[in-house]
Amino acid sequence: MIKRHIAHMLPGVMMLLLVSNSVFAESIEVTFAYIGQADPNPLLGVQQGLDEANLQGQFLNQRYKLDIISNENMSKNDYSKYIAILTSVDSDTFTKLTESLPDMPIFNLSLKDDNLRTSCIRNALHIIPSNSMISDAVKQWKMKKAESDANAYAWHPDFVKFAARDLNKRFKKSANVEMNDYSWAGWAAVKMTSDTVARTNITDPAKLLTYLRTELIFDGQKGSDMNFRETGQLRQPMLLVENNNIVAEAPVRGIAKPPTLDSLGTLNCQK
Amino acid sequence: MKLYLLPLLLYLFASNTVNAAPTGRIFVTNERSNTVSVISGDSLAVEETIEIGERPRGIGLSPDGTELYVAVSEENKIKVIDPVSLKILREFEAGSDPETFAVHPNGNIYISNEDDAKATVFNPKTGEQVAEIRVGLEPEGVAISPDGRRVIVTSESTNMLHVINAEDNTIESNILVGSRPRAATFTQSGNIAYATAEISGEVVKVDIASAKVIKKGTTGDSSSKPKDVVLSKDESTLYVAGGRANKVVVMDADSLEIIKKIPVGKRVWGLAISKDGKRLFTTDGVSSTVSVIDTDKNEVIKIVDVGKFPWGIVIND
Repeated sequence: MIKRHIAHMLPGVMMLLLVSNSVFAESIEVTFAYIGQADPNPLLGVQQGLDEANLQGQFLNQRYKLDIISNENMSKNDYSKYIAILTSVDSDTFTKLTESLPDMPIFNLSLKDDNLRTSCIRNALHIIPSNSMISDAVKQWKMKKAESDANAYAWHPDFVKFAARDLNKRFKKSANVEMNDYSWAGWAAVKMTSDTVARTNITDPAKLLTYLRTELIFDGQKGSDMNFRETGQLRQPMLLVENNNIVAEAPVRGIAKPPTLDSLGTLNCQK
Repeated sequence: MKLYLLPLLLYLFASNTVNAAPTGRIFVTNERSNTVSVISGDSLAVEETIEIGERPRGIGLSPDGTELYVAVSEENKIKVIDPVSLKILREFEAGSDPETFAVHPNGNIYISNEDDAKATVFNPKTGEQVAEIRVGLEPEGVAISPDGRRVIVTSESTNMLHVINAEDNTIESNILVGSRPRAATFTQSGNIAYATAEISGEVVKVDIASAKVIKKGTTGDSSSKPKDVVLSKDESTLYVAGGRANKVVVMDADSLEIIKKIPVGKRVWGLAISKDGKRLFTTDGVSSTVSVIDTDKNEVIKIVDVGKFPWGIVIND
Protein backbone atom coordinates (compact mmCIF):
# COMPACT_ATOMS: atom_id res chain seq x y z
CA MET A 1 0.00 0.00 0.00
CA ILE A 2 1.18 3.49 -0.70
CA LYS A 3 1.14 5.70 2.34
CA ARG A 4 1.67 9.23 1.36
CA HIS A 5 2.46 11.05 4.57
CA ILE A 6 3.51 14.26 2.98
CA ALA A 7 0.35 14.43 0.94
CA HIS A 8 -1.80 13.96 4.00
CA MET A 9 -0.52 17.02 5.75
CA LEU A 10 -0.54 19.15 2.62
CA PRO A 11 -4.08 20.51 2.33
CA GLY A 12 -4.09 22.53 5.57
CA VAL A 13 -0.65 23.96 5.10
CA MET A 14 -1.37 24.68 1.48
CA MET A 15 -4.50 26.63 2.19
CA LEU A 16 -2.59 28.85 4.56
CA LEU A 17 0.26 29.39 2.18
CA LEU A 18 -1.93 29.87 -0.83
CA VAL A 19 -3.55 32.78 0.91
CA SER A 20 -0.30 34.39 2.03
CA ASN A 21 1.57 33.78 -1.21
CA SER A 22 -1.13 34.50 -3.73
CA VAL A 23 -0.26 38.18 -3.70
CA PHE A 24 3.23 37.41 -4.98
CA ALA A 25 2.95 34.39 -7.21
CA GLU A 26 0.60 33.53 -10.00
CA SER A 27 -1.01 30.18 -9.42
CA ILE A 28 0.26 27.36 -11.61
CA GLU A 29 -1.16 23.89 -12.02
CA VAL A 30 0.44 21.25 -14.18
CA THR A 31 -0.58 17.66 -14.89
CA PHE A 32 1.54 14.70 -15.89
CA ALA A 33 0.29 11.62 -17.70
CA TYR A 34 1.64 8.23 -16.72
CA ILE A 35 1.48 5.20 -18.99
CA GLY A 36 2.87 2.03 -17.51
CA GLN A 37 2.82 -1.69 -17.76
CA ALA A 38 3.25 -4.36 -15.07
CA ASP A 39 6.15 -3.07 -12.95
CA PRO A 40 4.79 -0.88 -10.12
CA ASN A 41 8.18 0.72 -9.33
CA PRO A 42 8.24 3.56 -11.87
CA LEU A 43 4.83 4.74 -10.72
CA LEU A 44 5.85 4.59 -7.05
CA GLY A 45 8.78 6.84 -7.93
CA VAL A 46 6.51 9.17 -9.89
CA GLN A 47 4.18 9.47 -6.91
CA GLN A 48 7.12 10.24 -4.62
CA GLY A 49 8.25 12.93 -7.06
CA LEU A 50 4.74 14.34 -7.14
CA ASP A 51 4.49 14.55 -3.34
CA GLU A 52 7.79 16.39 -3.25
CA ALA A 53 6.80 18.68 -6.11
CA ASN A 54 3.67 19.63 -4.19
CA LEU A 55 5.66 20.22 -1.04
CA GLN A 56 7.81 22.65 -3.02
CA GLY A 57 4.71 23.98 -4.78
CA GLN A 58 3.07 25.04 -1.53
CA PHE A 59 5.73 27.75 -1.18
CA LEU A 60 5.28 28.95 -4.77
CA ASN A 61 1.56 28.53 -5.32
CA GLN A 62 2.08 25.64 -7.72
CA ARG A 63 0.23 22.35 -7.90
CA TYR A 64 1.22 19.11 -9.58
CA LYS A 65 -1.22 16.41 -10.62
CA LEU A 66 -1.06 13.01 -12.24
CA ASP A 67 -3.38 11.15 -14.63
CA ILE A 68 -2.74 7.45 -14.94
CA ILE A 69 -3.71 6.38 -18.45
CA SER A 70 -4.72 2.76 -18.93
CA ASN A 71 -3.38 0.83 -21.89
CA GLU A 72 -6.87 0.62 -23.39
CA ASN A 73 -7.31 4.39 -23.33
CA MET A 74 -3.80 5.18 -24.43
CA SER A 75 -4.49 5.77 -28.11
CA LYS A 76 -7.78 7.67 -27.70
CA ASN A 77 -6.71 9.86 -24.77
CA ASP A 78 -6.51 13.64 -25.14
CA TYR A 79 -2.93 14.58 -24.30
CA SER A 80 -3.23 18.32 -24.83
CA LYS A 81 -3.60 19.12 -21.12
CA TYR A 82 -0.34 17.47 -20.04
CA ILE A 83 3.04 19.00 -19.44
CA ALA A 84 4.85 15.70 -20.02
CA ILE A 85 4.22 11.98 -20.37
CA LEU A 86 5.97 9.53 -18.10
CA THR A 87 6.26 6.04 -19.56
CA SER A 88 7.23 2.55 -18.58
CA VAL A 89 6.18 0.73 -21.73
CA ASP A 90 7.63 -1.53 -24.43
CA SER A 91 9.91 -0.17 -27.11
CA ASP A 92 7.29 -0.10 -29.89
CA THR A 93 4.75 1.76 -27.78
CA PHE A 94 7.38 4.24 -26.71
CA THR A 95 8.47 4.96 -30.26
CA LYS A 96 4.87 5.39 -31.43
CA LEU A 97 4.11 7.79 -28.58
CA THR A 98 7.12 9.96 -29.38
CA GLU A 99 6.05 10.05 -33.05
CA SER A 100 2.40 10.85 -32.40
CA LEU A 101 3.19 13.66 -29.88
CA PRO A 102 6.28 15.31 -31.34
CA ASP A 103 6.26 18.43 -29.11
CA MET A 104 5.56 16.59 -25.89
CA PRO A 105 8.42 15.58 -23.56
CA ILE A 106 8.17 11.78 -23.26
CA PHE A 107 10.12 10.33 -20.37
CA ASN A 108 11.47 6.79 -20.64
CA LEU A 109 11.64 5.27 -17.17
CA SER A 110 12.39 1.65 -18.04
CA LEU A 111 13.76 0.91 -21.52
CA LYS A 112 17.52 0.38 -21.74
CA ASP A 113 17.73 -0.21 -25.53
CA ASP A 114 20.68 1.57 -27.09
CA ASN A 115 18.92 2.01 -30.41
CA LEU A 116 16.36 4.27 -28.71
CA ARG A 117 19.30 6.53 -27.82
CA THR A 118 21.27 6.42 -31.07
CA SER A 119 18.11 7.19 -33.06
CA CYS A 120 18.06 10.55 -31.25
CA ILE A 121 14.32 10.96 -30.89
CA ARG A 122 13.99 14.68 -30.28
CA ASN A 123 11.25 14.51 -27.63
CA ALA A 124 12.54 11.41 -25.80
CA LEU A 125 14.06 11.86 -22.35
CA HIS A 126 15.72 8.64 -21.20
CA ILE A 127 16.13 8.73 -17.44
CA ILE A 128 17.03 5.06 -17.03
CA PRO A 129 20.65 4.33 -18.05
CA SER A 130 21.14 2.52 -21.35
CA ASN A 131 22.63 -0.96 -21.75
CA SER A 132 25.88 0.54 -23.01
CA MET A 133 26.13 2.79 -19.94
CA ILE A 134 25.75 -0.29 -17.76
CA SER A 135 28.35 -2.30 -19.68
CA ASP A 136 30.82 0.62 -19.77
CA ALA A 137 30.50 1.08 -16.02
CA VAL A 138 31.19 -2.63 -15.44
CA LYS A 139 34.13 -2.52 -17.91
CA GLN A 140 35.71 0.38 -16.03
CA TRP A 141 35.40 -1.43 -12.74
CA LYS A 142 36.90 -4.64 -14.17
CA MET A 143 39.95 -2.66 -15.27
CA LYS A 144 40.48 -1.95 -11.62
CA LYS A 145 39.40 -5.32 -10.28
CA ALA A 146 39.58 -7.96 -13.03
CA GLU A 147 37.99 -10.83 -11.12
CA SER A 148 35.03 -8.72 -10.16
CA ASP A 149 31.48 -9.88 -10.74
CA ALA A 150 29.84 -6.48 -10.45
CA ASN A 151 26.74 -5.12 -12.08
CA ALA A 152 25.94 -1.45 -12.60
CA TYR A 153 22.78 0.33 -11.48
CA ALA A 154 21.29 3.79 -11.50
CA TRP A 155 20.38 3.52 -7.83
CA HIS A 156 20.66 1.34 -4.74
CA PRO A 157 18.72 1.37 -1.45
CA ASP A 158 22.00 1.35 0.54
CA PHE A 159 23.34 4.43 -1.24
CA VAL A 160 23.88 7.15 1.38
CA LYS A 161 26.20 9.75 -0.12
CA PHE A 162 25.01 13.03 -1.61
CA ALA A 163 21.78 12.92 0.39
CA ALA A 164 20.86 9.60 -1.29
CA ARG A 165 20.25 8.46 2.26
CA ASP A 166 17.52 11.06 2.64
CA LEU A 167 15.78 10.10 -0.58
CA ASN A 168 15.99 6.37 0.24
CA LYS A 169 14.57 7.04 3.69
CA ARG A 170 11.61 9.12 2.63
CA PHE A 171 10.77 6.84 -0.30
CA LYS A 172 10.79 3.75 1.93
CA LYS A 173 8.61 5.58 4.42
CA SER A 174 5.95 6.49 1.88
CA ALA A 175 6.10 3.60 -0.63
CA ASN A 176 6.91 0.80 1.81
CA VAL A 177 9.42 -0.67 -0.61
CA GLU A 178 13.04 0.18 -1.29
CA MET A 179 13.96 2.54 -4.08
CA ASN A 180 15.40 0.89 -7.21
CA ASP A 181 16.48 2.10 -10.65
CA TYR A 182 12.92 2.37 -11.93
CA SER A 183 11.44 4.19 -8.96
CA TRP A 184 14.46 6.51 -8.97
CA ALA A 185 13.83 7.21 -12.67
CA GLY A 186 10.16 8.01 -11.97
CA TRP A 187 11.10 10.31 -9.11
CA ALA A 188 13.82 12.03 -11.15
CA ALA A 189 11.56 12.72 -14.16
CA VAL A 190 8.99 14.49 -11.99
CA LYS A 191 11.64 16.29 -9.94
CA MET A 192 13.46 17.77 -12.94
CA THR A 193 10.13 18.93 -14.37
CA SER A 194 8.90 20.51 -11.15
CA ASP A 195 12.32 22.12 -10.57
CA THR A 196 12.03 23.63 -14.03
CA VAL A 197 8.45 24.82 -13.55
CA ALA A 198 9.43 26.33 -10.20
CA ARG A 199 12.34 28.23 -11.71
CA THR A 200 10.85 29.30 -15.02
CA ASN A 201 7.05 29.15 -14.66
CA ILE A 202 7.08 27.14 -17.91
CA THR A 203 3.85 25.20 -18.41
CA ASP A 204 4.10 24.65 -22.15
CA PRO A 205 5.33 21.13 -23.08
CA ALA A 206 7.46 22.26 -26.04
CA LYS A 207 9.16 24.95 -23.95
CA LEU A 208 9.72 22.46 -21.17
CA LEU A 209 11.33 20.06 -23.65
CA THR A 210 13.71 22.73 -24.89
CA TYR A 211 14.64 23.77 -21.37
CA LEU A 212 15.24 20.21 -20.19
CA ARG A 213 17.39 19.37 -23.19
CA THR A 214 19.46 22.54 -23.22
CA GLU A 215 19.51 24.28 -19.85
CA LEU A 216 18.90 21.71 -17.15
CA ILE A 217 21.19 21.43 -14.12
CA PHE A 218 19.57 18.59 -12.23
CA ASP A 219 20.27 17.42 -8.70
CA GLY A 220 19.40 13.71 -8.82
CA GLN A 221 20.86 13.14 -5.34
CA LYS A 222 23.82 11.30 -6.83
CA GLY A 223 26.41 14.06 -6.34
CA SER A 224 26.86 15.31 -9.91
CA ASP A 225 24.77 17.85 -11.71
CA MET A 226 22.94 16.05 -14.50
CA ASN A 227 21.78 17.05 -17.96
CA PHE A 228 20.83 15.43 -21.26
CA ARG A 229 22.94 14.24 -24.14
CA GLU A 230 22.02 14.88 -27.75
CA THR A 231 20.71 11.30 -27.71
CA GLY A 232 18.16 12.23 -25.07
CA GLN A 233 19.98 10.16 -22.44
CA LEU A 234 20.41 11.65 -18.95
CA ARG A 235 24.10 11.86 -18.04
CA GLN A 236 24.53 10.35 -14.62
CA PRO A 237 26.91 8.52 -12.30
CA MET A 238 26.22 4.81 -11.78
CA LEU A 239 26.72 2.46 -8.87
CA LEU A 240 28.73 -0.74 -9.08
CA VAL A 241 27.25 -3.45 -6.96
CA GLU A 242 28.71 -6.83 -5.95
CA ASN A 243 26.65 -9.28 -3.91
CA ASN A 244 24.19 -6.48 -3.25
CA ASN A 245 26.95 -4.27 -1.79
CA ILE A 246 27.92 -0.97 -3.39
CA VAL A 247 31.63 -1.29 -4.21
CA ALA A 248 32.26 1.78 -6.36
CA GLU A 249 30.78 4.60 -8.36
CA ALA A 250 31.20 4.98 -12.10
CA PRO A 251 32.85 6.81 -13.80
CA VAL A 252 35.50 4.82 -11.87
CA ARG A 253 38.12 7.16 -10.51
CA GLY A 254 41.54 6.80 -12.15
CA ILE A 255 40.11 4.54 -14.89
CA ALA A 256 37.45 6.47 -16.72
CA LYS A 257 38.62 8.16 -19.92
CA PRO A 258 37.46 10.79 -20.41
CA PRO A 259 37.09 11.19 -16.66
CA THR A 260 33.54 12.43 -17.01
CA LEU A 261 30.02 11.11 -17.14
CA ASP A 262 30.51 10.80 -20.92
CA SER A 263 32.81 7.82 -20.36
CA LEU A 264 29.57 5.86 -19.90
CA GLY A 265 27.49 4.87 -22.90
CA THR A 266 27.05 5.99 -26.49
CA LEU A 267 27.18 9.71 -27.18
CA ASN A 268 26.33 10.13 -30.82
CA CYS A 269 23.35 9.89 -33.08
CA GLN A 270 23.35 7.46 -35.98
CA LYS A 271 22.54 9.73 -38.84
CA MET B 1 40.99 49.84 50.08
CA LYS B 2 41.38 52.95 48.06
CA LEU B 3 37.95 54.20 47.08
CA TYR B 4 38.94 55.05 43.53
CA LEU B 5 39.49 51.35 42.86
CA LEU B 6 35.91 50.54 43.67
CA PRO B 7 34.36 51.31 40.26
CA LEU B 8 37.04 49.24 38.55
CA LEU B 9 36.44 46.30 40.88
CA LEU B 10 32.71 46.56 40.43
CA TYR B 11 33.15 46.67 36.70
CA LEU B 12 35.36 43.58 36.70
CA PHE B 13 32.97 41.75 39.00
CA ALA B 14 29.99 42.61 36.85
CA SER B 15 31.64 41.75 33.58
CA ASN B 16 32.83 38.43 34.98
CA THR B 17 29.43 37.32 36.06
CA VAL B 18 27.53 38.52 33.05
CA ASN B 19 30.07 37.70 30.39
CA ALA B 20 32.62 35.06 31.27
CA ALA B 21 35.95 35.69 29.60
CA PRO B 22 35.94 33.72 26.36
CA THR B 23 38.28 30.75 26.38
CA GLY B 24 39.66 31.50 22.92
CA ARG B 25 39.19 27.82 22.13
CA ILE B 26 38.08 26.45 18.77
CA PHE B 27 35.59 23.58 18.96
CA VAL B 28 35.20 21.04 16.15
CA THR B 29 32.65 18.22 15.74
CA ASN B 30 34.07 15.00 14.27
CA GLU B 31 31.19 13.25 12.50
CA ARG B 32 32.79 9.78 12.32
CA SER B 33 34.79 9.80 15.59
CA ASN B 34 31.77 10.87 17.65
CA THR B 35 33.93 13.46 19.38
CA VAL B 36 34.50 17.19 19.74
CA SER B 37 38.12 18.36 19.31
CA VAL B 38 39.11 21.30 21.50
CA ILE B 39 41.82 23.44 19.89
CA SER B 40 43.69 26.01 21.95
CA GLY B 41 43.42 29.46 20.43
CA ASP B 42 46.97 30.27 21.58
CA SER B 43 48.93 27.20 20.56
CA LEU B 44 46.52 26.12 17.77
CA ALA B 45 47.00 22.54 19.00
CA VAL B 46 44.34 20.09 20.18
CA GLU B 47 44.25 20.28 23.95
CA GLU B 48 41.41 17.86 24.59
CA THR B 49 38.95 15.55 22.84
CA ILE B 50 35.41 15.17 24.22
CA GLU B 51 33.40 11.97 23.66
CA ILE B 52 30.02 13.38 22.66
CA GLY B 53 27.79 10.72 21.03
CA GLU B 54 26.82 9.38 17.64
CA ARG B 55 27.37 11.58 14.58
CA PRO B 56 27.96 15.06 15.97
CA ARG B 57 27.46 17.75 13.33
CA GLY B 58 26.14 21.25 14.04
CA ILE B 59 27.90 23.25 16.75
CA GLY B 60 27.31 26.70 18.27
CA LEU B 61 27.72 28.90 21.31
CA SER B 62 25.22 30.69 23.53
CA PRO B 63 25.19 34.47 22.96
CA ASP B 64 27.21 35.03 26.16
CA GLY B 65 29.68 32.29 25.19
CA THR B 66 29.17 30.30 28.38
CA GLU B 67 27.55 27.25 26.81
CA LEU B 68 28.54 25.17 23.83
CA TYR B 69 25.80 23.31 21.93
CA VAL B 70 26.40 20.23 19.80
CA ALA B 71 23.80 18.53 17.56
CA VAL B 72 24.27 14.79 18.02
CA SER B 73 22.38 13.70 14.92
CA GLU B 74 21.93 9.95 15.39
CA GLU B 75 20.80 10.45 18.98
CA ASN B 76 18.36 13.23 18.01
CA LYS B 77 19.80 15.42 20.74
CA ILE B 78 21.52 18.67 21.50
CA LYS B 79 24.20 18.26 24.14
CA VAL B 80 25.35 21.23 26.20
CA ILE B 81 29.03 21.56 27.11
CA ASP B 82 30.77 23.97 29.48
CA PRO B 83 33.46 25.53 27.25
CA VAL B 84 35.69 26.07 30.31
CA SER B 85 35.52 22.73 32.16
CA LEU B 86 34.64 20.84 28.93
CA LYS B 87 32.10 18.78 30.89
CA ILE B 88 28.77 17.83 29.34
CA LEU B 89 26.25 19.78 31.41
CA ARG B 90 22.97 18.44 30.04
CA GLU B 91 21.17 17.32 26.90
CA PHE B 92 17.75 17.63 25.38
CA GLU B 93 15.70 16.02 22.57
CA ALA B 94 15.96 18.14 19.44
CA GLY B 95 13.60 16.47 16.95
CA SER B 96 14.51 14.00 14.22
CA ASP B 97 18.07 14.09 12.90
CA PRO B 98 19.20 17.55 14.03
CA GLU B 99 21.92 18.71 11.68
CA THR B 100 22.77 22.38 11.45
CA PHE B 101 21.59 25.06 13.81
CA ALA B 102 22.17 28.68 14.70
CA VAL B 103 21.78 30.48 18.00
CA HIS B 104 19.52 33.53 18.11
CA PRO B 105 20.64 36.61 20.09
CA ASN B 106 17.77 35.81 22.52
CA GLY B 107 19.41 32.45 23.26
CA ASN B 108 16.99 30.21 21.37
CA ILE B 109 18.34 27.61 18.94
CA TYR B 110 16.99 27.26 15.38
CA ILE B 111 17.58 23.73 14.11
CA SER B 112 17.08 22.16 10.70
CA ASN B 113 15.55 18.70 11.00
CA GLU B 114 16.67 17.09 7.77
CA ASP B 115 14.33 14.10 7.86
CA ASP B 116 11.17 16.00 8.65
CA ALA B 117 11.05 18.97 6.29
CA LYS B 118 10.90 21.37 9.21
CA ALA B 119 12.89 23.71 11.38
CA THR B 120 12.38 23.70 15.12
CA VAL B 121 13.12 26.35 17.72
CA PHE B 122 14.33 25.28 21.15
CA ASN B 123 15.03 27.08 24.39
CA PRO B 124 18.30 25.43 25.36
CA LYS B 125 17.94 26.45 29.01
CA THR B 126 14.78 24.40 29.45
CA GLY B 127 15.10 22.03 26.49
CA GLU B 128 11.57 22.97 25.46
CA GLN B 129 10.47 23.35 21.87
CA VAL B 130 9.30 26.91 21.31
CA ALA B 131 8.14 26.67 17.70
CA GLU B 132 8.07 24.52 14.61
CA ILE B 133 8.26 25.85 11.07
CA ARG B 134 7.36 23.71 8.03
CA VAL B 135 9.98 24.19 5.32
CA GLY B 136 11.05 22.37 2.15
CA LEU B 137 12.74 18.98 1.81
CA GLU B 138 16.08 18.31 3.44
CA PRO B 139 16.46 21.54 5.38
CA GLU B 140 20.12 22.19 5.99
CA GLY B 141 21.75 25.57 6.54
CA VAL B 142 20.49 27.96 9.21
CA ALA B 143 21.55 31.61 9.47
CA ILE B 144 20.27 34.35 11.77
CA SER B 145 20.61 38.07 11.10
CA PRO B 146 22.79 39.79 13.70
CA ASP B 147 19.82 41.90 14.87
CA GLY B 148 17.82 38.70 15.36
CA ARG B 149 14.94 39.80 13.14
CA ARG B 150 15.20 37.09 10.53
CA VAL B 151 16.27 33.51 10.12
CA ILE B 152 17.17 31.75 6.87
CA VAL B 153 16.72 28.01 6.53
CA THR B 154 17.94 26.45 3.29
CA SER B 155 16.09 23.41 1.98
CA GLU B 156 18.38 21.39 -0.21
CA SER B 157 16.00 19.28 -2.22
CA THR B 158 13.48 22.11 -2.64
CA ASN B 159 16.19 24.58 -3.79
CA MET B 160 15.02 27.39 -1.54
CA LEU B 161 15.98 29.86 1.10
CA HIS B 162 13.08 30.22 3.51
CA VAL B 163 13.21 33.61 5.17
CA ILE B 164 11.57 33.38 8.58
CA ASN B 165 10.36 36.28 10.69
CA ALA B 166 11.89 35.49 14.10
CA GLU B 167 9.24 37.43 15.99
CA ASP B 168 6.39 35.03 15.20
CA ASN B 169 8.39 32.24 13.51
CA THR B 170 6.44 32.36 10.28
CA ILE B 171 7.82 32.22 6.76
CA GLU B 172 8.07 35.68 5.26
CA SER B 173 9.40 34.72 1.81
CA ASN B 174 10.79 31.81 -0.16
CA ILE B 175 13.66 32.47 -2.52
CA LEU B 176 14.49 29.94 -5.24
CA VAL B 177 18.23 29.57 -5.72
CA GLY B 178 20.53 27.04 -7.45
CA SER B 179 20.41 23.30 -6.86
CA ARG B 180 21.00 22.10 -3.31
CA PRO B 181 21.44 25.26 -1.24
CA ARG B 182 23.56 24.36 1.76
CA ALA B 183 24.54 27.36 3.84
CA ALA B 184 23.80 31.05 4.23
CA THR B 185 25.08 34.08 6.08
CA PHE B 186 23.71 37.60 6.69
CA THR B 187 25.47 40.94 6.57
CA GLN B 188 25.51 42.97 9.81
CA SER B 189 22.56 45.06 8.63
CA GLY B 190 20.56 41.95 7.88
CA ASN B 191 19.46 43.39 4.52
CA ILE B 192 21.63 41.12 2.39
CA ALA B 193 22.40 37.43 2.65
CA TYR B 194 24.73 35.12 0.80
CA ALA B 195 24.08 31.44 0.15
CA THR B 196 25.83 28.54 -1.51
CA ALA B 197 24.24 25.97 -3.84
CA GLU B 198 26.16 22.71 -3.95
CA ILE B 199 25.08 21.03 -7.18
CA SER B 200 24.94 24.14 -9.34
CA GLY B 201 28.24 25.30 -7.80
CA GLU B 202 26.80 28.75 -7.19
CA VAL B 203 27.12 31.50 -4.65
CA VAL B 204 24.17 33.88 -4.60
CA LYS B 205 23.66 37.29 -3.10
CA VAL B 206 20.11 37.88 -1.97
CA ASP B 207 18.21 41.06 -1.14
CA ILE B 208 16.03 40.17 1.81
CA ALA B 209 13.41 42.93 1.49
CA SER B 210 12.57 42.12 -2.14
CA ALA B 211 13.27 38.38 -1.68
CA LYS B 212 15.31 38.37 -4.89
CA VAL B 213 18.66 37.00 -6.00
CA ILE B 214 20.61 40.13 -6.95
CA LYS B 215 23.90 38.53 -7.96
CA LYS B 216 25.20 35.10 -8.85
CA GLY B 217 28.75 33.82 -8.87
CA THR B 218 30.29 30.41 -9.30
CA THR B 219 33.12 28.70 -7.50
CA GLY B 220 34.84 28.19 -10.81
CA ASP B 221 35.35 24.47 -11.40
CA SER B 222 33.04 21.49 -11.56
CA SER B 223 34.65 19.63 -8.65
CA SER B 224 33.88 22.58 -6.43
CA LYS B 225 30.67 21.91 -4.52
CA PRO B 226 30.40 24.87 -2.17
CA LYS B 227 29.24 24.49 1.41
CA ASP B 228 29.84 26.98 4.24
CA VAL B 229 30.06 30.68 3.55
CA VAL B 230 31.33 33.47 5.83
CA LEU B 231 31.93 37.19 5.41
CA SER B 232 35.09 39.06 6.34
CA LYS B 233 34.79 41.52 9.20
CA ASP B 234 34.62 44.52 6.85
CA GLU B 235 32.09 42.60 4.67
CA SER B 236 34.18 43.19 1.53
CA THR B 237 35.23 39.57 1.14
CA LEU B 238 33.39 36.29 1.08
CA TYR B 239 34.97 32.97 2.02
CA VAL B 240 33.36 29.86 0.57
CA ALA B 241 34.26 26.28 1.48
CA GLY B 242 34.87 24.58 -1.88
CA GLY B 243 34.05 20.98 -0.86
CA ARG B 244 35.88 18.43 -3.03
CA ALA B 245 37.84 21.13 -4.81
CA ASN B 246 39.82 21.14 -1.54
CA LYS B 247 40.03 24.91 -1.58
CA VAL B 248 38.59 27.91 0.14
CA VAL B 249 37.29 30.23 -2.56
CA VAL B 250 37.84 33.90 -1.74
CA MET B 251 35.36 36.16 -3.52
CA ASP B 252 34.68 39.84 -3.77
CA ALA B 253 31.47 40.21 -1.76
CA ASP B 254 30.15 42.85 -4.12
CA SER B 255 30.88 41.41 -7.57
CA LEU B 256 31.11 37.74 -6.49
CA GLU B 257 34.25 37.48 -8.59
CA ILE B 258 36.93 35.06 -7.44
CA ILE B 259 39.93 36.77 -5.85
CA LYS B 260 41.88 33.70 -4.85
CA LYS B 261 41.60 30.00 -4.12
CA ILE B 262 43.38 28.82 -0.99
CA PRO B 263 44.32 25.11 -1.02
CA VAL B 264 43.26 23.37 2.19
CA GLY B 265 42.56 19.73 3.15
CA LYS B 266 40.19 17.38 1.36
CA ARG B 267 36.43 17.97 1.22
CA VAL B 268 36.35 21.26 3.05
CA TRP B 269 32.89 22.04 4.44
CA GLY B 270 32.93 23.97 7.70
CA LEU B 271 34.15 27.54 8.15
CA ALA B 272 34.49 29.84 11.17
CA ILE B 273 36.03 33.31 11.28
CA SER B 274 37.42 34.93 14.41
CA LYS B 275 35.70 38.03 15.81
CA ASP B 276 38.69 40.19 14.92
CA GLY B 277 38.47 38.81 11.38
CA LYS B 278 42.14 37.77 11.30
CA ARG B 279 41.81 34.00 11.37
CA LEU B 280 39.65 31.67 9.31
CA PHE B 281 39.32 28.02 10.33
CA THR B 282 38.19 25.23 8.01
CA THR B 283 37.07 21.64 8.61
CA ASP B 284 38.64 19.37 6.00
CA GLY B 285 36.41 16.28 6.25
CA VAL B 286 38.33 13.64 4.31
CA SER B 287 41.75 14.81 5.54
CA SER B 288 40.57 14.88 9.17
CA THR B 289 42.22 18.25 9.66
CA VAL B 290 41.44 21.85 10.50
CA SER B 291 43.28 24.42 8.38
CA VAL B 292 44.03 27.81 9.90
CA ILE B 293 44.11 30.70 7.42
CA ASP B 294 45.63 34.13 7.95
CA THR B 295 43.09 36.42 6.29
CA ASP B 296 45.59 39.24 5.66
CA LYS B 297 47.66 37.00 3.41
CA ASN B 298 44.90 34.52 2.57
CA GLU B 299 47.32 31.68 3.28
CA VAL B 300 47.19 28.58 5.44
CA ILE B 301 49.45 29.08 8.44
CA LYS B 302 48.77 25.86 10.28
CA ILE B 303 47.13 22.45 9.79
CA VAL B 304 45.72 20.79 12.90
CA ASP B 305 44.94 17.05 13.03
CA VAL B 306 41.52 16.40 14.55
CA GLY B 307 39.09 13.42 14.59
CA LYS B 308 37.54 11.64 11.61
CA PHE B 309 35.39 13.70 9.24
CA PRO B 310 35.47 17.04 11.06
CA TRP B 311 32.17 18.81 10.25
CA GLY B 312 31.16 21.85 12.29
CA ILE B 313 33.42 24.47 13.84
CA VAL B 314 32.94 27.40 16.24
CA ILE B 315 35.28 29.82 17.99
CA ASN B 316 34.78 30.85 21.62
CA ASP B 317 36.26 34.35 21.20
